[in-house]
Amino acid sequence: MIPVRVVRLSLVLGFAALVPSLFVLVAGQSPWRVLTTLVLYAFGPQGRSEVLLHAIPLTLIGLGVAFALRAGLFNIGGDGQLVAGAIVAVFFAPYFAGWGIAGLIAFLIFGFVGGAALGAFVGYLRERFNASEIIVTIMLNYVAVQMVSYLIRGPIADPMPFWPRSYPIPPDCVLPVIVSGTRLHAGLIVALVMVIVFAVVQRQTVLGFQSSVFGANPGAATYAGFRVKALTIVVMAISGGLGGLAGAVEVGGVYQRIVENMGEGFGLAAIAVALIARLEPVAIPFAACLFGIFFAGAGALQRELALPFPLVWIVEATVIFMVSALHWALPSRTAEA
Amino acid sequence: MDPLLLAGILAAGIRLGMAIGLSAIGESAAERSGVFNIGIEGVMLSAAFVAAWGSVRTGSPWLGIAFAMLIGLLLAAFHALMVLVLGVNQFISGIGMVIFGLGFSSFAARLTIGAKPTSVPGLPPIDLGPLSHFPVIGPIFFGQSPLAYIALALAVATGWVINRTALGLEIRACGESVEVAHALAIPVKARQTACILFGGITAGLGGAYLSVVQVHAFVEGMVAGRGFLAVACVMLGRKRPLIAFLASLGFGLAEATQIRLQTLYPGLPYQFLVILPYLAAIVALVIGHRNVARAA
Repeated sequence: MIPVRVVRLSLVLGFAALVPSLFVLVAGQSPWRVLTTLVLYAFGPQGRSEVLLHAIPLTLIGLGVAFALRAGLFNIGGDGQLVAGAIVAVFFAPYFAGWGIAGLIAFLIFGFVGGAALGAFVGYLRERFNASEIIVTIMLNYVAVQMVSYLIRGPIADPMPFWPRSYPIPPDCVLPVIVSGTRLHAGLIVALVMVIVFAVVQRQTVLGFQSSVFGANPGAATYAGFRVKALTIVVMAISGGLGGLAGAVEVGGVYQRIVENMGEGFGLAAIAVALIARLEPVAIPFAACLFGIFFAGAGALQRELALPFPLVWIVEATVIFMVSALHWALPSRTAEA
Repeated sequence: MDPLLLAGILAAGIRLGMAIGLSAIGESAAERSGVFNIGIEGVMLSAAFVAAWGSVRTGSPWLGIAFAMLIGLLLAAFHALMVLVLGVNQFISGIGMVIFGLGFSSFAARLTIGAKPTSVPGLPPIDLGPLSHFPVIGPIFFGQSPLAYIALALAVATGWVINRTALGLEIRACGESVEVAHALAIPVKARQTACILFGGITAGLGGAYLSVVQVHAFVEGMVAGRGFLAVACVMLGRKRPLIAFLASLGFGLAEATQIRLQTLYPGLPYQFLVILPYLAAIVALVIGHRNVARAA
């Protein structure tokens, strides 16, 4: 007799391999070639840094998504919070000119604050009016995209606009490239510091403990006398803040200004990242690298095999389904997500 | 205000709200039975593409709509499998569905009918002769797409089934208390599966409406949050199909108004108008809660 778990696990993994392969086959390509192209690119000299480059915002937003999800809150607003952080940071950036390293830190903090303000707003609506944070964060994503579209054509437009984009940030706010000849910037360090911070917050602090209890059993959290309402706002603010920080890091490290459609899709991918990492801060950078491979490799797939970029989203969805079905396949694992 | 202008906005509002409304009907049934499908957005996207592809391929918009209902059914069946059989968190499965819809529709569109909008054989509005051309009320009540009348009938019928029939009582029991439903020997998962599948079909119709009736083309990401607005409408209507449907028309009206305002005030940055329906959804959720509190 084959054990049930083995059967179930093979079903889940088989499904996960089958779905993207089917789409690749329909597009007239071999799934094997897709896999080898991805791996060769991702571990190649140029691909390596691009994978890490994409993993930076995914790690930051993923940490935020995981932090909220631990508390039972779904933050699907990563895209909007990223934009909010970028807007606030870029808006104040000119004041930081000449501050040196302090300017860079201030720039990043303002990014965090921008995203946190948006997140806190969502948390407030949730605790005060019981407005679904899922719907509100999604709606704010659409609002944020339009606000960027307006701002980069008006109030913060580039003085010499070749195409719609904001003015450049002062050099003090730029995250330097850390590996010469690549685009890989010091945001990587920011992301790793945040991973450590949140691993500590999650395990060692009252906030981490209370939010985990609240997520596992809101009734128990209330009964235990936690300030549940404040907790909702604080958790959403921190979660949004990480999205905002990702926005500032993207501006400071990659674009040096706000551009249209910046960071689009990272918010949704970060949900997959958080789930794969099972909401564990330390595991998030690794999950983010996996998606970094998909994002960075999608370009290679498009160039070499003429496979359209949205294949990434199909893979993303498959991974989400696969990881969440693992609870069913391996029931003894503790169910967190 | 000019009555003709008002009538124009009303007629357009109904037209623009219909895709949300169709999806909201089935989602009300699903949520009434106790299962959310926040993946409606992804189902609509997939359906919008499949409907466009089907009508381009076969030349028949009705066949395209049938394909869209089929893909809606399939995706909903997958959601039911994940949630009811594998015990996956319904919100996570829903988010997966959203992302899948985004990927599937854009990927398949680029490979088949092209990423650029291709003209799709569309469904024209009904023409009842003088009735449809009657000033002011003609275009509002007698000049909509056939799907709009089907939607209204569906909303009424769904509400009737849920509120007035034995089956509806069972569905509501599943949503209110699984334990009680089990005690009454109601096949909970069968009822919930049926409601989720019904939700998939109406979301399929909603997506098809968008590409085949409203725009006559498939554009990547064209659902643009309407699936989530449908979920918001169900929250607003407190899971009552007809009210959720009418709330959707309210969002259609907001959309029609903002488009009209764009032409009336070209000096105003259009982005501030585009966001109105999304902000309206947030405001509606907040106000909706206050009504609940007062009723309680």
